[in-house]
This record gives sequence, structure tokens and C-alpha cells, in this order.
Amino acid sequence: VNGTTTVSLFGVGGQGILLAASLLAEAAAAEGLEVKASEVHGMAQRGGSVVSTVRFGERVYSPVTHHADYVIATELLEGIRGLRLLSPGGTVVCASTTRIPPGGVLRREESYPDELEKEAAARGVRVVSVDAEALAREAGTLRAVNIALMGAASTVLPFSAESWQTALEKAVPARIFAVNDKAFALGRASVVATA
Amino acid sequence: MDTSLFLMGNEAIAYGAARAGAGFACAYPGTPSTEIIETAAGLDGVHAQWCVNEKVALETAVGCSRAGVRTVVAMKHVGLNVAADPLLTLTETGVNGGLVIVVSDDPGMNSSQNEQDTRNYAKFAKIPMLEPSDSQEAYDFVAEAFAISEEFDTPVLLRSSTKLSHGRGVVALRDPIGVERPDYVKDITKHLMVPQWARLRTKFILKRLELLRERSEQTPLNVIQEGTADFGIITSGVVYQYAREAFPEAWFLKLGMSYPMPYRKMADFFERVSQVFVVEELDPFIEEQVRILGLPVVGKETVPADGELDPDIVRAALEPYLDREVPQRRSPVFPPAPRIGEPAPESDLPVRPPVLCPGCRHRSVFTALKRQKLAAMGDIGCYMLGADPPLDALDSSLCMGASIGMMAGFNQALGRKASAAVIGDSTFFHSGITPLISAAYNEADGLVMILDNRTTAMTGHQGHPGSGVHPDLTEGPAMSIQELCDGIHVRCTTIDAKDYPAIVDGIKTEVATPGLGVIVAQAPCALLVKEKNGTVLVDDDRCNLCGLCLNVGCPAIVPEADTVSITDACTGCGLCVEVCRRGALTLSLTGEDS
Repeated sequence: VNGTTTVSLFGVGGQGILLAASLLAEAAAAEGLEVKASEVHGMAQRGGSVVSTVRFGERVYSPVTHHADYVIATELLEGIRGLRLLSPGGTVVCASTTRIPPGGVLRREESYPDELEKEAAARGVRVVSVDAEALAREAGTLRAVNIALMGAASTVLPFSAESWQTALEKAVPARIFAVNDKAFALGRASVVATA
Repeated sequence: MDTSLFLMGNEAIAYGAARAGAGFACAYPGTPSTEIIETAAGLDGVHAQWCVNEKVALETAVGCSRAGVRTVVAMKHVGLNVAADPLLTLTETGVNGGLVIVVSDDPGMNSSQNEQDTRNYAKFAKIPMLEPSDSQEAYDFVAEAFAISEEFDTPVLLRSSTKLSHGRGVVALRDPIGVERPDYVKDITKHLMVPQWARLRTKFILKRLELLRERSEQTPLNVIQEGTADFGIITSGVVYQYAREAFPEAWFLKLGMSYPMPYRKMADFFERVSQVFVVEELDPFIEEQVRILGLPVVGKETVPADGELDPDIVRAALEPYLDREVPQRRSPVFPPAPRIGEPAPESDLPVRPPVLCPGCRHRSVFTALKRQKLAAMGDIGCYMLGADPPLDALDSSLCMGASIGMMAGFNQALGRKASAAVIGDSTFFHSGITPLISAAYNEADGLVMILDNRTTAMTGHQGHPGSGVHPDLTEGPAMSIQELCDGIHVRCTTIDAKDYPAIVDGIKTEVATPGLGVIVAQAPCALLVKEKNGTVLVDDDRCNLCGLCLNVGCPAIVPEADTVSITDACTGCGLCVEVCRRGALTLSLTGEDS
């Protein structure tokens, strides 16, 4: 509406959504844009749905909205939940091979949904499907799923490679930098390779 | 100073306090306020403390202020209820060194048991209320809050909310403010509130409120921003950002100081636009003040009086009213019934609530307690998660520390040991000790389960007296709950929560024994130890999918067609192995052959 771009990151508590969001915020800042972000704390490590929002543009007022231009999801069900915030023309980048069944599914009261592609098509939303678990494993740790996915997302977001590199160095703690740097590069290459 | 940082609202508040010369910062952790003290602990010149509860935190802050030190105390909205007793007399005594009380509201209850609009406390206590709308203002307003506190001899409330506290924005840091520390001077007419002195201070409060209202008229924190449309919006806090985004063409009266309100400035705003809206989260606090002036305004009849707002909700709420004819003032003007927000739309997707972590050994207490057919009075914190299916192990919860009093009353009324209290260690130190003493004094019949993981887990692992850990992560002596109970002569047994049979036996024995008893179930928080003993193996031939293991509610156990499987999340705690009656599950410890 006013030149503000909204990215919502969806995942499950413990998957590292906060780190992914701060990487994205740093990349936007490296582009010289104003950035606001909103995080969910408290229950974030207890396996519940987690949403973090990053908004950037020339001038950003609200840290939150009820719609998004991009959705980045570290889990399939959360990706489907997230894509409902998108308008036609939006993009969802989803770790679609990662499935973490919630309690209701474990108790067989509900079924795990499968129709990411179908629902995206019905809404006119573009899907970038990523096997982030395989990429993270290749990088050296399953914990890097979040950053591998961000590598893939970096190919659709309007920032330069230099800005992403600056952001990685700022957002990722030194102790875990090498493995995450590799996961990001693998994620980035995975989309270019399939495009 | 030429530095900017990308800060969370809570971090900005801490930086702002340090910049304004605060020498002391204290709190009891509570989402969404916790990071204020964690951040302050790392800043030069600030001594940061966790206190056992918000009342003690405020009282400690008052002591520091008396001694002449600028002090900030932080809490979540419900924490101010706990601290309300000192607050309502602190307003009489005023301050020496500036005293700022930061309160984070949680509209929408992201992580709380209720919604409260803390601005009501400003009116109740007759003290000023500042409401920053982003991280930069959070940083800047703290300095202004200290200045007002000392100039007007008053505690100052600074209200945040979840989206400000946990929102991030760029903050330009400014040069530190040089502060002279006033000496302490004994003055019982100001500091010792017996009726003869308190009556005089009440008159002081009323005079102070009118001086503060004049400040509210003059302060640049309350600003009229010109627009291109012919309608205006009065708003405060982070909601300003929502409204500004939704209606960039509107005029704004942005109230950075929302109590006491600038009546003249408000009236002036009405002169400059043809239609005025009040957009605020939760209560019609500003709106009621406008109505006192008899001015026609649209507010809570369309802006929901519950839940969080956002730019889309604000746009949708106001659009139907734009260009509607403004009613001329008639007498009387009855306030409209508030609009109740629509419930979140039903989704066909499975919900994903937070769960007790895989490997949380306190799950064994819920599993064991359920066998006893007792009502379970719960408390605040992680252990609320024991209420969720399939554990379904709690009956009730209210506020911090309430479990023990509820248990005592319930059992008193029914004349038998009909309920147990379930409370965490940090909550017990917060406000569980006095109800335990009261229950013992009244010879209550009951069982208190203290689930002791040696940390304040739900808010992100802050220290407390049972761990001895401070905000700067230094460690002092740790207090023993067992010894505390021994000291007040309450029967107490400490049991390793990893020993499921011992937990079952301990509870069984305690339920069969008349009188009041405490069981301290000890096991460290699974998120802190992150230990992986191994994993659990399933013998598919023996498993008949009876569901006993599924009922412990561990996210690592997944039902399959006619057996169960164990995911990577398994820590090898072994509770499921203990409850299985068919020997279908075995623990495979790391390093052993499987």
C-alpha cells in the first residue's frame, strides 16, 4: 500500500525462527531500508506455532500487519497456515519436506494437511519448495534448517548477495557461523539450480 | 553520540534508562517485559536484580529512590496487580531519585491469563503515564519519565505492550544525561504514611495532578500532526503506528503522555478537523476523557475493546464511519456499548499449541497425579501445559501463587483431601510461601506438588532464590525448598522426578496421610540440560497401541497403524517405558548396543 514490504516467518517453537528473522532484518538494513520486526517470545521454545514478522521499506510505521507479501516457513503445515496471509502474486518459501505433526494429529483427532501446492495455486501464490533438511544435513547439522531455508528465500527477496553476506556476519553468532554460512549458500544454490 | 542499534522495545527501554543515569533496575520476569532487566544487567552503571515478585521489586525500587538513585522497575501487566499495594501509597510519598515503573501490557493474551489496560492504574494512582510508540521513543521517553518523576515528585508509569516490547526498530543512541544524585534527608511527613501525614500528602497529590496536566498541555510528547484529510485520530502507544499506516492522510493527536490528558490540546484538535476518532487498544481510556469534555467522538463502538489491533483492523473499523454526519452535541450523551472483537476465524488446519517439552521429567508428576483422582489446582508457568490433552491433568488456574490457597479452601469446604496444588519453584518463591504458611496455620488437609526445575523456565530461564542465579548470570547461594518447609514445620519430601515409581509412591503415601504435605519433585529444565540419554525402541509385535505411552503427552511418540514410532526429539528419559504394561518399549542408552 505504502511501499512497505511484509515478510512473515512461520515455524515451530525451537526451529530458530528468531534467528532467521534477525538475518532478514539485517539484510534489509544493509540495503539502507528502514526495518521493523515483531517477535513472539515466552512460549517460543515450547513447540507451538511461532510467527515472526519483518517489514521494510523507505518508511515503516507498524511492526505488524494482517497480510504478507512473502511467507517463509520452516515446516509444511506452518507453510500452509502462512500462505493464507498472501495475496495473489505473493510467494511462499517452504521447507516442505519437514513435517512436525502437532498434538491433535498425534492423537488422530485431526489429519496433517498435504495440499501446499494445490492451495497455493488456488490463491495465485507462487511456491518455492525446499528440502531444507537435506541441505542442512549436507551443511553439517539439522539445526541449520532455518538458515538453509533463508538461503533459498534470498533468491526471491529483493536484496543483493553482498547485503545477505553482511547480514549473515551480523546475525549469526561466530560459534555457529561456518556451518550456517554453508547452509545458506547451499539453500541459495538449490533454487538457482532448479530455476 | 553517533551510533544506532536495531533494538527490541524492551532493550531500548534498558538503554534509555542507562542513558538517563539509572543506577538500579529490578523486576520479576514476565512475558513480554523480561528482556528489560536482562539487557540492563549488561549496561554500564546499572545494577540489575531479579526480585521474588513485583511487590518486592517495587518496594526495593522505592528504597533505591529514597537513597537518591534513579531506578527503573519492570513488570508485565498482571505484575502491577501484585505491586498495586505499594504503588497506591508510593503516590503519596513521591520519590527522591527518579522512579520509573515500566509495565508491558499483553493485549490479545499472547502469553498471559488476562487482558488489562495499565493506563487505568495511572488514573487510579493519580500519576503520569507515558506511552512510547516505537523503539526510538521507548529509548527517549525513559529520560523524560525520569525528568518528570523528579520534577513533580512522583513515580511515573511507562506503558509498553507486546508489539512494542518485542518489536524491533532502529534506535539512535544519544549522549548520556549527567545526573546529580540527591542526598537522602529524613522526613517522616513525606516518607512515613500514617493518617496524619497521609492526609496532607493526598492534598499534594491532587495539586500535583493539575501541575502534571499543564505539563501534558505543554509537552512535545503530546503533538498534533497535520494531515490532508478532514478527519483526525487521537491515539497513543504502538497503536499510533497502526493508525498512521492505515490512514496516512489523517490528522493525528498523538498522546505520548496519556495521563493526565491535555484537555485544551484535545479541544483544539476538535477545532481543526470535522470528525474525530479515538483509536486505542483495550479500554476506552482516552475516549472517556474526550467524552468528559462533551465532544462528539467515534471510538469503541467500532474499534474492538478486546484483543490486539493492527493496521488492517484499524482501517476496517474506521472506514464505515468516514464522512458520516457528526452528531451535534445533545445532552445527555450516552456512551455506546463497546464493540467486542470477532473471534479468530475457524481454521480447517490443525492448531499447534505449545507443549511440555520432550524429556521434561515433570511430566511424570502429572502422569502420577492423574491416578489419584484428585482435583488439581494449577499455577502460572510451564506447568500450565499439564492442562492440555492428552495429559489433561489440571482443573483450575488463577494467578501467580493461587494454587495453594485454592487447594486449601477447596479441601476445607469438602472436608477431605479432595485436591492437590501444582506449582513451579519460581512461582512458589513469587507468592506460594505465604499461602503455604496460611494453610499450615489453618491445619489444612492437602497436598502441594512443587515442580522444581531450578529456573524460571517459561519466560526464558531467569534466576530465582532456588538457583541463586542473578541477571548478570553470576551465582549466589541457592535456597532449599525442603529446608524452608522444614523450618515452618510442614511435612515435606523431596523426590527425584526422574524416578517415576518413587513419584507414584510418594504421591500415594501423601494422599493416604492426613494433614498438609509437600512433595518437591526435582529435575532440571529439559531445555537447559538438553541431555540425550539415548532413545526408545519399539517392539512392534508387543505393542498393541493401547495408548498408555501416548497419554504421557510426549511429542516424540507418534502413533502408527498398529504400533507407535519414536522421533528424533526423544531424549531417552524413559517415562514411556515405565508406563508401558506390555514391555513393548525399551530404553536404548547412548553408547550401548541396540
